[in-house]
Amino acid sequence: MTHDRLKQFDAFLIPILAVISGLLVSVVLVLLTKTSPIEAYRILFVAGFGCNDLTHCALFTTLERATPLILTGLSAVVAFRSGMFSIGQEGQYLLGAVVAAWLGYAIQLPPVIHPIFIMTMSMLAGAAYGWVPGVLRVKLGVNELLVTIVLNAIAVLFAEYMVQFPLRSDPGATAHSPIIDLTAQLPTFLPGSKWGVGFILAVLAAYIVYVYLWRSTPGYEQRMAGQSKRFALFGGIPSDQAAIRAMLISGALAGLAGSIEILGVHRRIMQAFSVGLGFDGLSVAILGQTHPLGVVIVAILFAGVRLGAQLGLQLEAQIPRELGGTMIGLIILFVALRKFYEGNIERTRNWLGRFFNRGQSRPE
Amino acid sequence: MALALEMTGITKYFASTDVKANDKVDFAVEAGEVHALVGENGAGKTTLMSILYGLVKPDSGEIKVDGKPVVITRPDDAIRNGIGMVHQHFKLVPSFTVAQSILLGMEPNRAGFLTPNEENRAVAELAERHGLPVDPKARIRDLPVGMQQRVEILKVLERNARILVLDEPTAVLTPQEVAELMRVVRNLSKAGYTVVFITHKLLEVVRVADRVSVMRAGRNAGSKAVAETTVPELARMMVGREVLLKVNKAPRQAGEVVFAADDVSVTDVRGFPAVTRVSFNVRAGEILGIAGVSGNGQTELVEAITGMRALDGGRLVINTKDATTLSVRERRERGLAHIPEDRIHVGLNLDTNLDENLIVSRYRLGQFNRAGFLNRRSMRDFAADVIKRFSVAAAVPGGGISRLSGGNMQKIVIGRELAGEPSFIVANQPTRGLDVGSIEFVHRSLVEARDRGAGILLVSVELEEILALSDRVLVMYRGQIQGEVDPATATEEQIGLLMAGAHPEPASAAGPAA
Repeated sequence: MTHDRLKQFDAFLIPILAVISGLLVSVVLVLLTKTSPIEAYRILFVAGFGCNDLTHCALFTTLERATPLILTGLSAVVAFRSGMFSIGQEGQYLLGAVVAAWLGYAIQLPPVIHPIFIMTMSMLAGAAYGWVPGVLRVKLGVNELLVTIVLNAIAVLFAEYMVQFPLRSDPGATAHSPIIDLTAQLPTFLPGSKWGVGFILAVLAAYIVYVYLWRSTPGYEQRMAGQSKRFALFGGIPSDQAAIRAMLISGALAGLAGSIEILGVHRRIMQAFSVGLGFDGLSVAILGQTHPLGVVIVAILFAGVRLGAQLGLQLEAQIPRELGGTMIGLIILFVALRKFYEGNIERTRNWLGRFFNRGQSRPE
Repeated sequence: MALALEMTGITKYFASTDVKANDKVDFAVEAGEVHALVGENGAGKTTLMSILYGLVKPDSGEIKVDGKPVVITRPDDAIRNGIGMVHQHFKLVPSFTVAQSILLGMEPNRAGFLTPNEENRAVAELAERHGLPVDPKARIRDLPVGMQQRVEILKVLERNARILVLDEPTAVLTPQEVAELMRVVRNLSKAGYTVVFITHKLLEVVRVADRVSVMRAGRNAGSKAVAETTVPELARMMVGREVLLKVNKAPRQAGEVVFAADDVSVTDVRGFPAVTRVSFNVRAGEILGIAGVSGNGQTELVEAITGMRALDGGRLVINTKDATTLSVRERRERGLAHIPEDRIHVGLNLDTNLDENLIVSRYRLGQFNRAGFLNRRSMRDFAADVIKRFSVAAAVPGGGISRLSGGNMQKIVIGRELAGEPSFIVANQPTRGLDVGSIEFVHRSLVEARDRGAGILLVSVELEEILALSDRVLVMYRGQIQGEVDPATATEEQIGLLMAGAHPEPASAAGPAA
């Protein structure tokens, strides 16, 4: 195998090894609850990915929950690949959600047009919120990481305020906005889950992001600027434009995630709507090797493990569902240790090579 | 004479790059001799010495010092066995004094307190003893490079080294400093020290060494007494074939002015003036060389000309049009090509493949851009074309480039920059770190571009390169043009003086071209 092939192979191997290591270490935690790890993992898997019949299908719920993760993950991919360490997905996601919840009842439009219009507006809102750190970075050299952290905090409070006051529908105990119009709702496929058009849009977005980044000239500019600023400058690539464009696209994707979550799942926005789905997008992007295909796979995996922990472990085995979060945390930790894997993969490969004595002469 | 150092059967395989850097290398140095270690880049010189100094662990082989086997796993072990190393890039703290640098980690103290006076006295004594005068109280940052090197040598001597390894010691020096270093090395040898002198400049071998070992492709290609060999023979041993050491070029046919710098000033990264009011022009069909010791503003000047750094003042003209405030892209569209000094971080992007590296300055052209999408087939064809025309060994279209040798990387850069027949080429240190064979190739490519009618600005710290290629030579010192010389008649000494800041004699002083 050539070196390039090996590298591509490792891109798959490392996350898989990380997942296996995370699950193995989690065994210790499962044992603390005096449950058989094999039984626990069986329950987790069935509750997360199992399918009895089409209306009682955990897998469909998993796909529903994977939808926002895919989009916020893609948002992070576009930013990271372009050299912008933006963690602003949470804020952009919330703005997209607030806009969707508001326009869902505040304006009347015919079906199909209504959700398309709303999603467009949510994407614009997210893009605008992504534009701010982009411009500050390019014009004033302000670190985008810090700016996005601050903007996230502002967005969380802004969303909370909107739910508590301007959008609040009744003075009940928990604040929420009115249900959005039927014309605005995104259709779902089957009863029993909210798995629907949103998921298709997310997968389509993954494909578009791939084609954009790797096949188009603006995507080329963004990747070159992200991989080597000096090289981009040397070659005459407009890095500043590329960085701002990256933040606009990244923001739009996160905004779309918020929009779909409202239009396709919750149909309204309620207090404490922010549960960190934007931040999860970062983990998904990193574990998915900042590649759209990896993001789709990892988002589904994450959603499934969470659902399995919640419905399976907690309800069936009386293991706290936080174990799901712990597993995901461990998996991310092992991904962060990729150097460890790289070294060991290389060593294993050398050892195997010597073991099978395939000492063919190596070209220079 | 007895052997001071004997390395036998040293083998080191780097799995990460799949390179056998050392392959059963035998290397022996007699006590008290100056032993030159020469070889192309990547031939394994540095690996061999890193193994000796405990920086790299060999897969097999053994080391004997003064006939006794030793185990060296860290630099401490090397120092304990009397081996000292002066690295190519000095490991000095700019804000320290000379005495603090030399005594670092072994300062004399009184009840845990430093005693600066005693330090200075000890260092002065040490310098005296070895005939290497330095001012113990001077700060490193105020010293010229030659002096900093002397501090490094004293540092090694203070640690009782008997075997000194000097890694490419002349790379950063002016000719005068080189001569001084040669004298110091000879004296050390006379005083009984053993010196291993790593270099790729064969003329230095003849000047300073008693014996020479040539490394090629990870093996010792032979050791000889310097008196019994010649420069062409050493070059052949290094490369494995006949090498043209001289550049053949036709007389200059200078044409229109393709580039003019007028009163240009530039500041460096830290905001200090790096280039002050520099003016010159480059004509079509000529190579203008800029000589000078590294760090005298050449980098900033090149960055300003190529659009990577803003000017502080002055004007730039490319092909009769003002280019002072143009972007890199606009300058390139007007015929600029740029061979940067740092090919790894600036000239190439090692994280992506060959095809994408080759289109960085022309991906918008119709050839590669179809309605906003990359035309991957024509990218691949272009890569195949560059590989063929510039015979880039080991590169494949669509393949990675991070594991190519320096010479092949530079061929990719040159292939990209010379494609499209630019009218003005800026080449900054185009052969830095390259082996003899690749240097020959780069020089030939530049001369061909010149004969085709391009104007070339060649910036190099290698004086021989400047003299061999240039039609006119400017010498830069502290951000200014110190003088212009004619490469056909100028001597190395004459240029060396200008490089060191001396003022040109009135007779040879040529005012900067307007």
